Amino acid sequence: MATATQSNVLQANPRTPGNKNDARRVRRDGKVPAVLYGAGKDAISVALDPRHVSRILHSQTGHNTIFDLSLDGGEQTKAMIVDWQYEPIKGALMHIDLKRIAMDKKLTVNVPIVLKGDAIGVKQEGGILEQILREVEIECLPADIPTAIEADVTHLTFGIVLRVSDLAHGDKLTFLTDANQPVAHVITIKEEVAATPEAVAAEGAAPAEPEVIKKGKQETEEEAAPAEKKEKK
Amino acid sequence: MLMPKKVKYRKQQRGRMTGKAWRGSELAFGDYGLKVLEPGWITDRQIEASRVAMTRFIKRGGKIWIRLFPDKPVTKKPAETRMGKGKGAPDHWVAVVRPGKILFEMEGVAVADAAEAMRLASHKLPLRTTFVKRPSLSH
Repeated sequence: MATATQSNVLQANPRTPGNKNDARRVRRDGKVPAVLYGAGKDAISVALDPRHVSRILHSQTGHNTIFDLSLDGGEQTKAMIVDWQYEPIKGALMHIDLKRIAMDKKLTVNVPIVLKGDAIGVKQEGGILEQILREVEIECLPADIPTAIEADVTHLTFGIVLRVSDLAHGDKLTFLTDANQPVAHVITIKEEVAATPEAVAAEGAAPAEPEVIKKGKQETEEEAAPAEKKEKK
Repeated sequence: MLMPKKVKYRKQQRGRMTGKAWRGSELAFGDYGLKVLEPGWITDRQIEASRVAMTRFIKRGGKIWIRLFPDKPVTKKPAETRMGKGKGAPDHWVAVVRPGKILFEMEGVAVADAAEAMRLASHKLPLRTTFVKRPSLSH
């Protein structure tokens, strides 16, 4: 199992922390604003080259890659990407959170789950393999972070669910995600039945209005009953 | 057709559609998705037409998620009515979408089939869209 530690260096330029206008100016200069924190030290605002960050995020080890962060060519520290934001339309990087890593201390990371093999339920029974959980939270030393947790799904058929407890892993890491949580299962999809002309006409003719929630306290049956008794007296 | 079961008020004002969809702009369930690039209203009929177009193309091959819900009532005055005399009666329901919103997601089909299904679905919509897929699929 390959680990996520890599020996590449990421250059970071310190910047003065500011508001969103300052962050926008950093982006206009072709950089991406970021913040470096962790290991009991003060947080530092930095600017990074988005191409280098994208290369790390799209590498095989992904966001769990541990790299050397060089601050303006001087101090070097081990770091990893813990959070990142994309612009919703063009997908450009907006902001990065970097965390200093101590190689001798355990840390919590999310590792992707990769499904291997063709499930029997898909091959022979015509089902669809649905992956419910795509990442699992683990705790381990930085040097032992796996690139992915591989799960064999060849035995999966209708009614059998692959759970977190079924995932194979070494002694060096522990799963923090609930062991009972489902990872993948085989499902069936009903084929769309062509609607009859009568059904289409009925649906088009009666656009039912939803119920309107009334204002004020609603009088329940229990509250209404004593009121009736009083009236009788 | 999709519509709310209960509402607090029968009629709504039109509202503004400024900004981008900072929520619901990334794939959450499936491997492929259809992302909208413009702000606008998508009606319940358009959502249903897109869903039918996708399910008919992929047949029993994949699973579809609808990530938008038409929760805004649109009113309409009857034909040949003079202006005034109050707001019209509720006519249909729309979903307000901002650019970047993922409208549909799909899983369990090949990339080419998903792209074609999404293309067919996009022809039922009044807004520009783009096909998106998980970055891990390109490895």
